[in-house]
Amino acid sequence: MAQLRQIAFYGKGGIGKSTTSQNTLASMAHYFDKNILIVGCDPKADSTRLILHEKAQNTILQLAAEMGTVEDLELEDACKPGAGIFSPDTSGGWINCTESGGPEPGVGCAGRGVITAINFLEEEGAYEEEGLDFVSYDVLGDVVCGGFAMPIREGKAQEIYIVMSGEMMAMYAANNISKGILKYANTGGVRLAGLICNARMTDREYDLAWALARELGTQMIHFVPRNNIVQHAELRRMTVVEYSPSSDQAQEYKELARKIIANDMKIIPTPLEMDDLEDLLMEFGLEEEVLEEEIGKSAEL
Amino acid sequence: MFILGFHFPADMGNNVPDEKVVEKLDNSGVDFDSVNEIKMVSESHGVKEELSYTKKDTFMFKALVHYVKAVASTDYMIYTNRYQISELAKRLDSDDETMALCKKFDSMAQFKIVAA
Ligand SMILES: Nc1ncnc2c1ncn2[C@@H]1O[C@H](COP(=O)(O)OP(=O)(O)O)[C@@H](O)[C@H]1O
Ligand code: SF4
Ligand SMILES: [Mg+2]
Repeated sequence: MAQLRQIAFYGKGGIGKSTTSQNTLASMAHYFDKNILIVGCDPKADSTRLILHEKAQNTILQLAAEMGTVEDLELEDACKPGAGIFSPDTSGGWINCTESGGPEPGVGCAGRGVITAINFLEEEGAYEEEGLDFVSYDVLGDVVCGGFAMPIREGKAQEIYIVMSGEMMAMYAANNISKGILKYANTGGVRLAGLICNARMTDREYDLAWALARELGTQMIHFVPRNNIVQHAELRRMTVVEYSPSSDQAQEYKELARKIIANDMKIIPTPLEMDDLEDLLMEFGLEEEVLEEEIGKSAEL
Repeated sequence: MFILGFHFPADMGNNVPDEKVVEKLDNSGVDFDSVNEIKMVSESHGVKEELSYTKKDTFMFKALVHYVKAVASTDYMIYTNRYQISELAKRLDSDDETMALCKKFDSMAQFKIVAA
């Protein structure tokens, strides 16, 4: 059996992690016969809905809370086989789905919840399923507190893909996530495997994404264009790959899937200092230069 | 890393020399001479434009023929590949026609491509 690869999609909230990851993993299963376990690690718990054709899957933390303790939880209640073409009963690869869930807002540590969920899955043998090729984590990365770095820290996620765009906050988040990877690269063996630009379709976005990738020492593995078919498919709770396999957008996800499967570029990132990041943003017009003497000056003087 | 869909091993780093990409094209087994014209349609905000490209002695031509013959499974042009073709053509080619096409390629428009 080929070695199990544990990959993760990190990025700021709303950037398109769940959409991009589910469409890409769907392509890996459908076109390239890969068998996959998805572990959603965002309290929003929408990392699996397009594979399951469901609104939201019951999360491990939610189920454990209902049971009283995680020890009483059964794997089959927390881990569901994908619907339609992603089921183990159809040809091609299969996808199993889990969501860690999060604590009640304002209570407990989200990161710890994620680790509880991952440990449960490992102990229950979800990672030992016959034929499993990939485990994929979908992790919120705005805040690189100890919590959201948990899958990296604990050596769970090994190969990180950062979903970003040519927007300032997405660039900041990508750089911060790289700092988190750097911090645990030696202890846990985690590596940065590439940036995925989920485009906002702004000027020079491809160049900007590549400029950041070069600085970080990695690659911009794929530029995913915006396309409304993504939303049309989402309304039916489907990936584009299943909704319209011959569509233009499906070709994009198929190519990204092919590249991730073949990717061997796994590096320890070299994140930018804040000043250098600001220079880069300035160079691409995302931040404007201000005259020293104008800083702090009211517009009405 | 990946350029024009070709895989370059990680030990080559993230700055693969252009010659290496050209070498891959030359060794791809694609018959570049069999094509005399590349036809494209770009679409941006509902506005379509038809384009024809016939400069056979350029890197651009080789890369487009390779795309049509060996990469594409439909007439849709994958954005990443298109941007990369343009990036290299701007360094390897210099004629006005190719530079004008590069400029169009660098936009957010969607492209369809076929060999004529
Ligand atoms: N390439 C795309 N084209 C069109 N819409 C997209 C694309 N990627 C993401 N979206 C939309 O953006 C929204 C947010 O994406 P989502 O994957 O939920 O973000 P995240 O998981 O990072 O919070 C989704 O509703 C999705 O429809
Ligand atoms: S470590 Fe992070 S996830 Fe955990 S409570 Fe603190 S901020 Fe929240
Ligand atoms: Mg999400």
